[in-house]
Amino acid sequence: MMLRIMSVEFLKLRRKLVWLLVLLGPLGVVALQAVNFGLRYDYLTKQYADDLWGGLIDNVSMLMLPTLFIGLTILASMTAGIDHQMNTWKQTLALPVNRASIFAGKFAVTAILLLCSSTLLVPFTLLLGFLLDFGFEELPLADLAMTVYYPFLAIMPFIALQVWLSVAMHNQALPLTVGIIGMIAGMFASQFPDWMPWKWPSLINDRDMPLYSVGAGLTLGLIVMLLGMCQFVRKDVR
Amino acid sequence: MTTNKETILETSGLTKKLGGKPVVKDVNLRIGRGDIYGFLGPNGAGKTTTIRMLLGLAKPTRGSIRIFGKDISKDRLAILRSVGSLVEYPSYYGHLNAIENLEAVRRLLTVPKNRIDEVLSVVRLTKDAKRPVKGYSLGMKQRLGIATALLGNPELLVLDEPTNGLDPAGILEIRELIKSLPKSHGVTILISSHLLSEIEQMATRVGIIAKGSLIYEDRIEKLRERSQGHIHLGVSEPEEAWKLLSASGVKASLVEGKLTVAEKNNAAIAAIVARLVGERHQVYRVEEEKVSLESIFLDMTGVEGSL
Ligand SMILES: Nc1ncnc2c1ncn2[C@@H]1O[C@H](COP(=O)(O)OP(=O)(O)OP(=O)(O)O)[C@@H](O)[C@H]1O
Ligand SMILES: [Mg+2]
Repeated sequence: MMLRIMSVEFLKLRRKLVWLLVLLGPLGVVALQAVNFGLRYDYLTKQYADDLWGGLIDNVSMLMLPTLFIGLTILASMTAGIDHQMNTWKQTLALPVNRASIFAGKFAVTAILLLCSSTLLVPFTLLLGFLLDFGFEELPLADLAMTVYYPFLAIMPFIALQVWLSVAMHNQALPLTVGIIGMIAGMFASQFPDWMPWKWPSLINDRDMPLYSVGAGLTLGLIVMLLGMCQFVRKDVR
Repeated sequence: MTTNKETILETSGLTKKLGGKPVVKDVNLRIGRGDIYGFLGPNGAGKTTTIRMLLGLAKPTRGSIRIFGKDISKDRLAILRSVGSLVEYPSYYGHLNAIENLEAVRRLLTVPKNRIDEVLSVVRLTKDAKRPVKGYSLGMKQRLGIATALLGNPELLVLDEPTNGLDPAGILEIRELIKSLPKSHGVTILISSHLLSEIEQMATRVGIIAKGSLIYEDRIEKLRERSQGHIHLGVSEPEEAWKLLSASGVKASLVEGKLTVAEKNNAAIAAIVARLVGERHQVYRVEEEKVSLESIFLDMTGVEGSL
């Protein structure tokens, strides 16, 4: 059932600009870093002389976090918006499908789109590294994968929250506002205490254990997803 | 005849409160197999609210719904597998074409792919099937909505105002389509409308809802009988004539000098006229006054002028 629901979700995204958005996010991050490193090549290469790739990855990651926050907000709003637009909820929910699966489907689609976007960051960053002549000898694949996928996992509560809000509300103004506030909060997150979920995607915590942030994110993400699902299963459809 | 038909849908005490006030009150519907059930009521009567509950889209505040003998609150998915629906206005994905729209529903119904071509040809959209639906006329969207409802070979078809916003030709076309379905596919149909005239030519049974309460439910013929007219007699001395007729056992009434008889068949009217003429009354006129179904409907629902 889940697979069929997912295939329908992707069918509905045809000819929407979602895929362009998925591409644009990581492209924008790397392009800005290309400008950054291009303009300050001598300065930055001197600063990161003993770990050129590490320096690039740190800079990419810095821009990636706000992009993740805003990206998931827009993706959640777009995937829910397809069904708000002509109120196709009533058609879908009068079909013999489990309501919980429909909600899980919206969540999964949003997460997968964001995952694609995050994944694209890997080849784009490598390409930029090559162009900046950082060498092929020690490809920082493990480092890069961690930089990309750990925050993706730690940001789950926000994916779940935005999917919930966007699905529950016909008017997307509030969900978008909440998402933008989340992005801004995320930018100051390094100063937050460890228990604040906005801090988790940065993987910074007092114990210096990125996996703690990932674990917390996955747990709260699951909880928020289930809460949203419960509400969706109960509510009357207009 | 209808009473011994298998019951397809039955509600008892169905009630829904919205914003604190009841918009559907204690509704008991009964629909038999093969019925085309016209669900009538003026704007805001509670038709859509009732239909939403029948489809499991909204939960009743009180009361129960049984479809195919199963309770909707327990066997929702099993019931919905055999129900096709179109609620209020058609739902569609505007950026997709008709085939893609139907495919999005087909994958969740798991019916064979060729059903898409079949339903498209039933509603005559085959030619336009590859155009984005947002460019369709209202009538075409409505037909796509009906095609979607038919996709899963439903046993029960629930159509909420399917002719809303259509021109007379479009209404006629949809009516013909709907009338043909029970014959060709053995489908039972619940169709709502706020216009009796739109329903009376296809419905076999009607239920009338007003201000949330079901105020009438019976075969359409029963409603038609009510619309049969009265015969007015224009005579020289109404008072005398009335006495004469009453004395000889004819049910007649005299209101403001207007003589009316309840008899309707030709022989009885002829006998009455002969009787009057035989007693030297002058008969000026024999007129039939028909009550339109619409005015009966308006009387019942207590609404001045339906939109
Ligand atoms: N969410 C809501 N909160 C409060 N009242 C509501 C709500 N939704 C509908 N109503 C009221 O319920 C009543 C019934 O509405 P419904 O849509 O079922 O009528 P209807 O018979 O389908 O009318 P129409 O012919 O206009 O489609 C209306 O008076 C409407 O104002
Ligand atoms: Mg309605």
